[in-house]
Order: sequence, then structure tokens, then C-alpha cells
Amino acid sequence: MITVLFFGPVAERVGTNRLDVAYRDGMSLQELRAQLQTQYPDAFELVSLAAVDGTHFRDMSVPLADSCEVVFMSKFSGG
Amino acid sequence: MGELKNAVRIQLDDFSQDEEIRALQATSKRMGGIATFLGCARDFSEGREVSEISFDAYDRMALPEMQKLRTEAIERFGLLDARIIHRLGVVRAGDSIVFIATGAEHRAPALEACRWIIDELKERVPIWKKETTPQGDAWVTPHP
Repeated sequence: MITVLFFGPVAERVGTNRLDVAYRDGMSLQELRAQLQTQYPDAFELVSLAAVDGTHFRDMSVPLADSCEVVFMSKFSGG
Repeated sequence: MGELKNAVRIQLDDFSQDEEIRALQATSKRMGGIATFLGCARDFSEGREVSEISFDAYDRMALPEMQKLRTEAIERFGLLDARIIHRLGVVRAGDSIVFIATGAEHRAPALEACRWIIDELKERVPIWKKETTPQGDAWVTPHP
């Protein structure tokens, strides 16, 4: 199972802070994004970066590990 | 003696600028220049009155990223020390949001580092703000 977290405006559009997604062998960050984008297109309009287990990931082709934590985030507005 | 607070913090409570500056200055008597930045909640934004701002953060990444910023700033600008504090939760218009203090032997690196840190923080630290206005609540959404 992959834990997918959302915050701020993305969470508001998804309607939740957290989804649990079934893990598939070899699943990449891009594939996960594509799957969720289909279900939540309005939310993913805002997504511009992703993190895996607390680390920003630019390479979307990276395969995910089972039980990892993924966050799809919009541009930050802190400070 | 008050409790020694970490140089980089994310917290709900307000902070004391005087305390943070004293803590920074206490790290080295070689500090000839201290620069500070205070980010405050404005009561007007994008044509609307704002009564309060609430913040959400990805804690797992936000604090480590702020710690990295401090370390990078110290190395890049040759600082003696730096402190970064960001509040979460709800702040009212006029309240403090973020505080940065940088100390160096001379004023130029302290001033440059202070600006660099806030600019980088806004780009790199996963914190989001929502503004409460008469028209309702709205997340601030910079374009991707």
C-alpha cells in the first residue's frame, strides 16, 4: 500500500489529506500521478512537485517501493 | 536562564524577536552585524480584506528543508549563525508569521544572507497559506 498525502489547496480539491493506493510492482511516480490525475483532475492542475518519503523527487520515472509515502504538492506559499 | 530554543523551528506559538536576536548574538562575540527579516500577516491581499491567515505544512519535509537552508546560508555567506522560525496554525492580520536572523562578522553577508534565506524559503519549504476574507477562505495558489 502506498500512502499518498495532500496539503493545502490540493487537499481541498481532492477532498481529503490522505489516500491509500494499492501498490503494483514496478509502479513509478509518474504512473501514480497519472492514475490520481484521472480521478482528481482539478486537484492535479495545481500539482507542480512531488516528494517520496520526505524527499523532493524530480525524476518521475523512479519506481516506488511498497509502503512508501508520496506527496503531490502545489507551489508553496509560506514565508 | 530561559530554555535554549533550537535555531530552526516551526511552531504554533508567537515568538519574541528580542529573544531570538539575543540567542543568535550569544553564539559569537565576533558578530559585527545582525540582519533580521520579519514576515507579517497583512490585512489586505489581491484586492480583498484579510482578517486571518492559516498555514498548512508537510512537517516531514518542511523542518529539514529549513534546517538545510540555515546550513547552506552559513556556508554560502560565511555566517557565524542564523535562526529561522515559521509559525503554523492561524494568525490574525498584523501578527508575525516568519522570522529570520543572520549574524556575521560584517554587515554585507548578514544582509545578503537574510534576503537569500527568505527568498529560498518561499520557494523550497512546503508550507501553504489560506486567507480568510469577507468573500470566504481561499488558499494562495501561485501558478505552477
